[in-house]
Amino acid sequence: MKVMRRRFSLLNAIFDAVMARPDTVGYPFGELELPEGYRGAIVIDADKCTGCGLCVRDCPADALRLEKKSRDEFRLIHYPARCAYCGQCEDSCQRGAIGHSNALVGATARPRELIVVLKEKNIDD
Amino acid sequence: MQFIKGLFFLLIFPGLSFQVVCGLAFEWIDRKLLARFQRRVGPPWYQPLADLIKLFSKEDIMPEGAYDLVETLLPLISLSAVLTAGLYIPIAGFTPFSFEGDLIVIQFLMSVPTLAYYLAGIASVGIYSLLGGGRSLLQFFSYEVPLLITISGPAVMAGSWSIAEISRSQLDQGPFIVFQPLGFILAVVGLIGKLKRDPLDIPSASSEVVGGSLTEFTGAKLGFWHLVMNIQAVVGIFLLANLYLGWSNITSPLPAIGIFVLECLAVVVVLSATSAVFARLRIDQLAGIGWKILVPLSLLQLGFVILMGV
Amino acid sequence: MNKITIPIGPHHPLLKEPLSMKIDIAGERVLGASLRLGYVHRGIEKLALERTYVQDVHLIERICGICSHVHTTTFCLAVEALLGIEVPPRAQYIRALMCELERVHSHLLWLGILAKHVGLETVFMHTWHDRELALDIMEGVSGGRVSHAANQIGGVRFDLSEEQEAMIRENVEKLKTQVGGVLDVIENEPALRARTQGVAPVSVELIKDYCVVGPVARASGVDIDLRRDDPWPPYDQLDFKVITLPDGDAWARTLIRALETRESLRLCETIMHKMPDGPVTVRAPRKVPEGEVVTRSEAPRGEVVYYLRSNGSDKPARLKVRTPTLAVLSLLPEQLSAIHVADIPVVLAGIDLCIACADR
Repeated sequence: MKVMRRRFSLLNAIFDAVMARPDTVGYPFGELELPEGYRGAIVIDADKCTGCGLCVRDCPADALRLEKKSRDEFRLIHYPARCAYCGQCEDSCQRGAIGHSNALVGATARPRELIVVLKEKNIDD
Repeated sequence: MQFIKGLFFLLIFPGLSFQVVCGLAFEWIDRKLLARFQRRVGPPWYQPLADLIKLFSKEDIMPEGAYDLVETLLPLISLSAVLTAGLYIPIAGFTPFSFEGDLIVIQFLMSVPTLAYYLAGIASVGIYSLLGGGRSLLQFFSYEVPLLITISGPAVMAGSWSIAEISRSQLDQGPFIVFQPLGFILAVVGLIGKLKRDPLDIPSASSEVVGGSLTEFTGAKLGFWHLVMNIQAVVGIFLLANLYLGWSNITSPLPAIGIFVLECLAVVVVLSATSAVFARLRIDQLAGIGWKILVPLSLLQLGFVILMGV
Repeated sequence: MNKITIPIGPHHPLLKEPLSMKIDIAGERVLGASLRLGYVHRGIEKLALERTYVQDVHLIERICGICSHVHTTTFCLAVEALLGIEVPPRAQYIRALMCELERVHSHLLWLGILAKHVGLETVFMHTWHDRELALDIMEGVSGGRVSHAANQIGGVRFDLSEEQEAMIRENVEKLKTQVGGVLDVIENEPALRARTQGVAPVSVELIKDYCVVGPVARASGVDIDLRRDDPWPPYDQLDFKVITLPDGDAWARTLIRALETRESLRLCETIMHKMPDGPVTVRAPRKVPEGEVVTRSEAPRGEVVYYLRSNGSDKPARLKVRTPTLAVLSLLPEQLSAIHVADIPVVLAGIDLCIACADR
């Protein structure tokens, strides 16, 4: 009997599969649950950012850029289309200003126009 | 009046429209069942129709050197062959065109698509098409002989070569699957080979010959081939339901239709489960199995039926 | 019969990644094959010289999607050896845990691909469904299913909380049951055995001639496994079996990966059991003193070798990567002679190609 059961193991497997509901997530028509540590879109705590540029120096994908005129005049720009979502900026920042949320970044047909200004201080142009 | 009636039978029921709708329904049930066996959700009910419309709206390209007229005619000839074959099979006991000997005619008509598949492979001069076409002929030789021998079993037991008669005689004798279970299994194997489904989809094995004979087909021609495959499956299922499970000649129509639908669904479930569970055979393994196992078993079954009749 | 040449070209349903093979066949028998690589070459070794070590960790992760963690681990080990720093034990254990989970997910992926090419689509879907458990563990722990970004120079980038440890233990238990079921199906399914048994046997002499590594070598009876022969901690403190099979045909290559998956899950349990407490990272200086180092690791496909030379700045002077698929691919034309055409997918799947690794 055990031999027979092992011989028909695939038949058992498909029978079980029909009885159980499929495990497919119905996104985008259903909910999508992402774990908390999921590396999604970049967010910044603007009060903590001082424009030191450590995140820019360590980014492997050149997705961050700092335009700095002086200590109190700078602008930090992020390019989500270039970003590799690796989290190196979060590790490099010594003040805990920049980091990942667990929100998904949507698709776009124009990646070159996807620019997010993270922090602007006393700078126009 | 007779002309209108004939046109109705040919075009609406049990002819063109009915068989196309059944073909699409079969494709949906098959894909949905396979998906559920594999823990997937499966397509919605309109998917086969949407696929067909999409195929008919695509551009039609052929490689240079392929025989254009032949390529266009082959799917149309196969389609007409299977549609004609479907006219002679009783649907829930109703058949306007049956005659003595139509079992043989149906067998002949159902092998036309296989030969057309082979010719399509040769006519589109790509390498994968040639390989796929050659393999389909090799497979044809391995399953067709046991299938023919097996199908003679119910004919001998009912004493007639007309499918309607065979189906009707099961009301007195009981469904033939009870007396010929081996025959039913062999007929299912033969049907799988004829339909080129897993585990016998050697001619169109996508990992080896990309698409088989149909690699170079696009657009409306591929749409027609798709229809041919589906309608061939439906006709084969109706045939098997009538030959082995036929109990649908009861006079009141509603129970007859209900029983017929249940029988066909049972055959579809058997086909889908076999598709899901077995791996693809190699062509030399199939030839070995065909001639060393299937043919002797089918002869044994036929001999048994003849002895029982005597 | 005439000889025709079929291209298993850059685009083919059989290949996950582009690779060009021209196979000469006559009827249904294969006469010979020739191979051509380079379709996925991105110049990683040159790109690595233009980035700092910190940025390079992320670049190296993208050499391959399936064995990404092993590549970053070997690279970080190389840099840490040059820096002369010692990674804390908890970080070593976490690195080993991720390596073993990657081995599990890679073998399950490969098993599904083999089943699909042989025609058993059901086994393909079922093994990939079980593989999701392994990916769920890795996502819950590191934040990404495939790009884990787990390593940094000096340790790992995350720590495991109590709930995460409980989640890992629970999922590993579930995986053990599922992998047991998969093993049952493989051993008892007659069609799978009929398609793979006796196909393309590889002798020990061929293995030694072509310097083949990994499960392909172990399936022919050669007993090499870097986790035991040249271990980096914590593998020298862990007990596990190295599985070899004598036949060397495609069936042995199938069975050995399934058995290795089960062994890796046992190893995951041992790692969780023995994991020490403590910090997970030490501070690493940015500039690496001059020197050169060779480090090796056991990736799911075999032995990965990294050579790193530094010149005192914060960018490497030379990086060289030798991946296992490159060693195994040289065996392919030999294996592809004198088999059936229908056995080509079985042979190709048995080597477990990862062309992105091979081309860098």
